[in-house]
Amino acid sequence: MLTSFDVLLIAAAILILGIGLARRSSLWLVGQEEMRTGSLSALAAYLLGSGKILKRPLQGSAHVFVFWGVVLPALIVLVSQFRPRLPETLSNLLSLFLDLLGLAMLCALVFMLVRRWTKSEEAGPKRTAVPALTLLGIVVTGFLAEGTRLSILGAGFSWQSPVGSVFSSVLPASPLLMQVMIRLHFFAVLFLIASLPFTFLRHLVAGSLNVYYKSRNPHGQLRSLSLESDYPGAKRVNDFSWKQLLDAEACVSCGRCEENCPAAISGKPLSPRKVVRSIQEQMQAMNGTVTKPGLPLLNQRISDDELWSCTTCMACVEHCPVFVEPLDKIMDMRRYRVMGEGALPAEAKATIRSLLLYKDVYGKGIAHRTDWAFNRGVPLLSEEVEVLLWVGCSGAFHPRYQETARAMVKILKAGGVRFGILGKEELCCGDPARRLGEESLFLEIAQENIRRIKERGFEKILTLCPHCFNTLKNEYPSLGGSFPVVHAAEYIADMIRLNKIALKYSLPAKMALHDPCYLGRGNGIYKPLWFIANAFPGVTFFELPWNRECGFCWGGGGGRMWLHEKLGMRMNLLRAEEVVKSGAEVLGTACPYCLTMLEDGIKNLETGKPAKVMDLVEIVASSIR
Amino acid sequence: MKIIVCIKQIGHVYARTGMEPSERFLTPEDKIYMVNPCDEVALEMGLRLKESLGEGEVTLLTLGPIIAESELRRCLGMGADRLVQIETDQGLDPWRKSFFLARAIKEIGASLILCGKESLDRQSGQVGAYVAHRLGLPFVSAVVSATMNPGTGTVEAERRAGRGVRELIGCSLPAVLSVDMGLEVRLPKFEDKQRALSAPVEKRVYPEEGDPARTLVRAIFPPRPRPKNVFTPDSRLDAFERIQQLLMGSRVEKKGNMFTGSVDSQVDGIVSFLKEHGFAGKGKE
Repeated sequence: MLTSFDVLLIAAAILILGIGLARRSSLWLVGQEEMRTGSLSALAAYLLGSGKILKRPLQGSAHVFVFWGVVLPALIVLVSQFRPRLPETLSNLLSLFLDLLGLAMLCALVFMLVRRWTKSEEAGPKRTAVPALTLLGIVVTGFLAEGTRLSILGAGFSWQSPVGSVFSSVLPASPLLMQVMIRLHFFAVLFLIASLPFTFLRHLVAGSLNVYYKSRNPHGQLRSLSLESDYPGAKRVNDFSWKQLLDAEACVSCGRCEENCPAAISGKPLSPRKVVRSIQEQMQAMNGTVTKPGLPLLNQRISDDELWSCTTCMACVEHCPVFVEPLDKIMDMRRYRVMGEGALPAEAKATIRSLLLYKDVYGKGIAHRTDWAFNRGVPLLSEEVEVLLWVGCSGAFHPRYQETARAMVKILKAGGVRFGILGKEELCCGDPARRLGEESLFLEIAQENIRRIKERGFEKILTLCPHCFNTLKNEYPSLGGSFPVVHAAEYIADMIRLNKIALKYSLPAKMALHDPCYLGRGNGIYKPLWFIANAFPGVTFFELPWNRECGFCWGGGGGRMWLHEKLGMRMNLLRAEEVVKSGAEVLGTACPYCLTMLEDGIKNLETGKPAKVMDLVEIVASSIR
Repeated sequence: MKIIVCIKQIGHVYARTGMEPSERFLTPEDKIYMVNPCDEVALEMGLRLKESLGEGEVTLLTLGPIIAESELRRCLGMGADRLVQIETDQGLDPWRKSFFLARAIKEIGASLILCGKESLDRQSGQVGAYVAHRLGLPFVSAVVSATMNPGTGTVEAERRAGRGVRELIGCSLPAVLSVDMGLEVRLPKFEDKQRALSAPVEKRVYPEEGDPARTLVRAIFPPRPRPKNVFTPDSRLDAFERIQQLLMGSRVEKKGNMFTGSVDSQVDGIVSFLKEHGFAGKGKE
């Protein structure tokens, strides 16, 4: 079957593939060191289950057909070189399956090419048409060769290869044509293999590697930063770690991040796709050399407006089909801008200053930290208790959220839980400083908090704010403070489940939920919120269009709570319109930033009967008396 | 070009949450140690002048014990070149303060002396003027921006003249300017902050003679309780204690129970309250 010339050609193609891949890998291997362990089982599960690609049903299934249309025939061709003996029915069925798969792949490829032809450059980049055309050539020549073969055999219609039979009915029984088609098919396959590292198809390798090395931490956990190097954060492209650069290499610009990014949707200059693309372009321009002087700075391509538009809502991380994390790159660039150059937006300087002097984001001071609890019988933590209630800056200072903190106390008392607060010992958890890029201030505050928490005896920490929750749970352990942390929603759901509290009074209203980013996408906590919302007697619960993983950030996270929103539309108005359209009477959430932004947004729309925004904790408290 | 910025460390009392009249209702948390905000703006102005000239040295000069070290080091991290401390541990009046400051300034030598318009704690606003008097230099107060002209040896200062009026003043160097709030203070870079952590503090000690104090602080007291923090006195206390609470200005909030939620729950709440307190009988249930 194979001549020695063919073998030579195959070897040459594989050699070109190898050299190409090695050269591509040198692009991202210049990154800084980072410890990552891979998982083959995760990769296998991802490839077999087609990962997240099917979230877009049409394009996703086209991709699935093309993927298996390449992988399965390639495997079968490889195996058939050893001439295995198969029973006739099995080989017939296999033939039928491959024929149909080929047809599906043909349709998928035509669909993809039409998309590339008709859609804009953003939705279907023209450069990606080359591998698609090559694949189309492979499929078409394959069918033509099959058709002529059947035509030579003169068997008429055979059920094992229906598509081939259709082709054979119009093709001449010419052995020459068959040979030509087989050669064309063979050359097209070789071309595909050899060109793989140089076209968009390299995502087969880079994407798989990226899935293999994917982070297994919760999305909410930010990459920790080394403060030992010359400057903190990412100034030039080689300041990123190799994994971060591999992320950029694996990105195929599918745009799922952009479609879900609240900043992009509300017309701000940020697009996670553009950020990753810029990094990829700079990586290519650098061409694997680290020592080259005059390397361009990252912020020549990625402006401050882009960096500061990010709400760190993790939608881009959640929706990327190959686990690219645009967020940690944006954060590393922020860190350099703030700590390396002191370029923090003016309005956020006051917040950082408050954190530095008063240890809270509202600048009210430690002396006022227990004002919300004054005369309300909130116990200070003294002896060993079950629950340490972590109030957070919002619970302690924000006039609206103080009500939630009091409601939480009411629930804990109703449930007979022994609890206590740290009172004036509690500081800000440090999340705003960290998300604003001030890592050194975060470390200072966090270490002080850990020291103070460790002195106390308790079973678990209960937080009201998802941002505190995420910081205490995911970010303190790397600083030596591993504590069991639960969020109020989880804890209350458990209390209801164990009948510690009974929801006595009904809530006759149409209620919807907003999933806070740092609970949902950040830590995968969706169910407790649902459980609580459905536990109220008399409630009509329904879903907003943007729910769960697609929950739309209101623009309070990532330090945006303390920044002006000057560009584009206001995120909270966009979301408020959705809520008003849905006809919800009560909107439940579980985050102080969401609560503030939501209330502002809905009041701003000035509708006749505005939806009432409440924290789930408050709703539960009003339902238990 | 040498610039000296006089910087005051203050203990800023931002709250009054204590219960003890003998401690003036203060608790340790009510006070934070910081650098006077106006002086920080003065430092920012000094740094901007240094940057616009392209050369120069900015010296921080502080008087008295170091109580806000981390804040002083942050100021060094902003870009000041050195920190000089005049060691003295006695309470001083503005005239005595200006004696020590003027003496140190004479020793260090500078063509521009910047200080804050007034401090957040005492707000006398006199020290800058006294220093200028002792050194025999021109003095411009409440400056919000300044440009230096090293060729002619003058500084052009824009000052706040009250009622929204600005005055533009040309002044020969050396001079003393007292700076008002206005400029946006910069954030120190991380590497500068780290460097400032190990920067030395140059200490200077001067003999205690010199001019005697010309003013004397007889007492520091709040003239009346702060009205905004007074809440309704606890109705369970007797009249004497209630009046005492009002006079003290301490935070006492009435312990009430607000029933929120659905109508059912409010009714239940009121009924159970009445029963608990004996206003209503057990009923016939």
